[in-house]
Amino acid sequence: MPTIDMSKKDLEGLVGKKFSQKELEDALLYVKGEIDAQDGDNLKVDVKETNRPDVWSTEGISRELRARMGMEKGIPEYKVAKGKLKVRIEKSVKGVRPLTVGAVVKGIRITEPLLIQMIQLQEKIHTTYGRKRKEAAMGVYDFDKVRGDIRYYGAKPREKKFIPLEYRAEMGLDEILESHPKGREFGHLLKGKDVYPIFEDSEGNVLSMPPIINSNYSGKVTQSAKNLFIEVSGFNMHTISTALNVMVMALADRGGKIESATIIDADGKKFTTPAFGTKRMQVDISYLKKISGLNLSEREITALLQKARFEVKRKGKKLALEYGDYRTDILHPVDIIEDLLIGFDYNKILPQRPKMSVVGEEREETAYLDKVRDACVGLGLQEVLTFNLTSKEKQGTLAGLGGQQFVEIANPVSANWEILRKSIYPELLEFLSKNKHVEYPQKIFEVGKALEIDDASATRTRERDKLCIALAGNGYGFTLIKSAFEAICRELGKKCELTAEQHPALKEGRGAIISGGSPGFLGELSDRVKKNFGLEQDIVVLEMEL
Amino acid sequence: MDLKAVVASLSEIERKTLLCIDATPKAAEGLAAACGLNIDSVRRACSWLSEKGLAKTEEVKETKIVLTKEGEGAFTYGLAERRMLNMLSEKGKMGFKELQQAGNFTQQEFNIALGINKRRAFVAIFRGTRPEIGLSEVGKDFIKGKSEEEEAIAEIAQSGGTQKGQALQALKERGLAEEKEDVQRLVSITPEGGQARRIKEFSGQRHYNILNPVPPMYIGKKQPYIQFLNIIRRKLTELGFKEMEAPLIVHEFYNFDVLFQPQNHPARTWTDTYQLKNPSRGTLHDKKAVNAVKAAHETGGVSASCGWRYNWLEEIASKLMPTAHGTAHSARQLTKGVEMPGKYFAIARCFRPDVLDATHLIEFNQTEGFIAGEDLNFTHLLGVLEQFAREIAGAKEVKFLPDYYPFTEPSVQLSAKHPSLGWVELGGAGMFRPEILENLGIKGQAIAWGIGVDRLAMFKLGIKDIRYLFSDDLDWLRRTPLVKG
Repeated sequence: MPTIDMSKKDLEGLVGKKFSQKELEDALLYVKGEIDAQDGDNLKVDVKETNRPDVWSTEGISRELRARMGMEKGIPEYKVAKGKLKVRIEKSVKGVRPLTVGAVVKGIRITEPLLIQMIQLQEKIHTTYGRKRKEAAMGVYDFDKVRGDIRYYGAKPREKKFIPLEYRAEMGLDEILESHPKGREFGHLLKGKDVYPIFEDSEGNVLSMPPIINSNYSGKVTQSAKNLFIEVSGFNMHTISTALNVMVMALADRGGKIESATIIDADGKKFTTPAFGTKRMQVDISYLKKISGLNLSEREITALLQKARFEVKRKGKKLALEYGDYRTDILHPVDIIEDLLIGFDYNKILPQRPKMSVVGEEREETAYLDKVRDACVGLGLQEVLTFNLTSKEKQGTLAGLGGQQFVEIANPVSANWEILRKSIYPELLEFLSKNKHVEYPQKIFEVGKALEIDDASATRTRERDKLCIALAGNGYGFTLIKSAFEAICRELGKKCELTAEQHPALKEGRGAIISGGSPGFLGELSDRVKKNFGLEQDIVVLEMEL
Repeated sequence: MDLKAVVASLSEIERKTLLCIDATPKAAEGLAAACGLNIDSVRRACSWLSEKGLAKTEEVKETKIVLTKEGEGAFTYGLAERRMLNMLSEKGKMGFKELQQAGNFTQQEFNIALGINKRRAFVAIFRGTRPEIGLSEVGKDFIKGKSEEEEAIAEIAQSGGTQKGQALQALKERGLAEEKEDVQRLVSITPEGGQARRIKEFSGQRHYNILNPVPPMYIGKKQPYIQFLNIIRRKLTELGFKEMEAPLIVHEFYNFDVLFQPQNHPARTWTDTYQLKNPSRGTLHDKKAVNAVKAAHETGGVSASCGWRYNWLEEIASKLMPTAHGTAHSARQLTKGVEMPGKYFAIARCFRPDVLDATHLIEFNQTEGFIAGEDLNFTHLLGVLEQFAREIAGAKEVKFLPDYYPFTEPSVQLSAKHPSLGWVELGGAGMFRPEILENLGIKGQAIAWGIGVDRLAMFKLGIKDIRYLFSDDLDWLRRTPLVKG
């Protein structure tokens, strides 16, 4: 979900209307926007329209609002004058980053809000829509510093040098990947390729190395620039065109004049960009009514959709809709319905409870686990809840279990949460160690899951429901935990048997292995494990599968 | 005075003491034997009885005459003048030096003794070759008698005083006697005390002060968050929902792909969800569902959608991860088949790479589910949310905001008015996208919903720090009352 920084005054200027606080909050709902923070004129707006880059800027939000508030309607129109610039794509970029589109925007006054929005929109396009620059990387340049036509080609990393943005000295291409902050962040998108993509003007000045970094010469846009060149590179024509259009529309909304660039692809085929196209979709009126649940007239539906910038025509029982192809979020007629409902206002709809006669039930397993809890509560034990995520050290070394295989996280945020637990007792021992200052005896239990690797399962893991009890108090010994164990087995109607086998966490001769249907163990905690957890009281534990 | 209440509060020693005091003020020390208690108990009982108004304690100041250390010596061995007379009576006349040494007199004693005996004419100085001291006739007569001072010193030693004023004065001047102040606590019974002894409650059992603190006792009980989730589960089953299985580990397929989230979506990368390293990949046995999902992503499949238009890979979908959201379990249910109409829910343990702090958990619970039916529409979706807000969260006022989920269209956020916090987000919902339902062969519509149970639990338990849901504070767990509902 993109969060957009914007100025309220700037928004009001672009919409052409002043907003009270309530009006502003209501208006932002049209783009699924919610004010996250507000400091005077500065707004932070969460825009939940994750698939609509066209509303990730003040200009885009204003464009949507102008239509929703009745100042404009239908598809926004942008004039594109024919420009002279040519961008030649050479064969050498084919295996690296094969496609690009571009546009020139002239006569623009670069104010501070414009600059902030432009940089922000570029950033949001990169991160979300462009899949962290992989699918779409955008460059904006001071067009007056670009000489002649532009080459887009693959340069051998060792043969090219340029001064990257905000740097003073020329750097080799590999050097940029290794030492420039953007190179380190996005270098993985180019690493291992024979050539790296380069935009260069007719005098050999580098514009940029996409998707990494602009040059410090033409790729640095300041408030003194008047004419801009924008390009987007990537792999999918539809994706990069949309990104370009969204940016160009925003600049044009600020008064920029759009000029086309002629792209000559590696096969010599020519086309011009930006190309503002439209898409069409036919929707059954009955489908709109059925899913929305609203009994709207055709006129009402048409009016609401026009406010959402659709061109609407009646075609039999259907509506033929046309909309700007920047609407990448529309995949199915159902996507039209939400636009219709947002226009209608969710809070004006009368909620209906669906009438269905169905019987609810909890899972048998859930009911059983709660019975186990009841039994433990009957023994006077306090239930605790610990995390499934834990550390190898706690579950292995400290708990007295060396050389174990655990279900392991690939991207842990810390070594404290690197595996999923195999046993519960180490977590209860840690709980006791955190409560040494609290009145004894301490009698706790947990009913929860523990995980093991199991290659026979579809998820290659086995999740077992387990009961773990830990009792800490002066003189607590084997007899006590065996009594508790037998009480639990009796109440659950389980046949429980013990065998005199050693468990590594327990004292020799004071522990037993539970055999039969509920494998586990019980007994007195060994001095070594007690010491590992910094515990001093006499402690007995029980852990068994349920 | 509520005499009955006072009597009820009397301890055993108070009762015994009250029975052995009377209207005559007496020192507590003297009562011990009569009461059958030790002195300390009597003192304590007297002080409590006085506080309760059943006895009266008064302090009496007394000036006593006592012997000094030297006075005690004089009482035991005789006054210096007496010792001098005895010596002379025994040995006859003696020289000055001789007498002083034989009688072991200090110079001062000797001078005083000689002075007194001379003044009283008990001795005489005989002048011969050397001056000698000897008893006079008066002295010989007196030797069997006793001086005023001697009588006084004996009286002081025996009864703490004497009426012989002049002698006392002399003893004081000689540093043999002194005055000493003494405070005595005398206890006597009050009229109320007398009454108290006569009422029948006096012979009954002591009533405790029931307001006194007692040692704490803690019951065995379920963890507060578990109690809360059990309440939620019960309410949902009462509303007709069936519980779904909620494993901790799922294939990405259920967490993302079935839910129409494209494989290159940024939300599927490292920072937003956990992935497993060991084991890293599982098996997808349900090939029919795999093919349906592949078609949905690539072309929209049998639905009217254009799909995401990319090459969908089973290899990615079969990767394993700890469940990131409860809708993963709804996704699995959708692939397994759905009753029409049907209502489903799961209380799902979910995982999120985050830093554990007062507002974030790395492991938390989500309550999610869906309602499937032939003719469900958006007004029903709002109806379901409103019902949840009222019957599960106890909210009185709700509002709906447009929202986005990759798997629903239209999507809604549910907010409810909290008495002190204002509008708070309670959950979200939407209608499952046709790409999902139609490709899995589900006819009709399905409303997917989720409630933020962690936040609801915090409201219910009155906690500000979300970590208390998994509290590691035993004292807090012991003191937190049973969850109502």
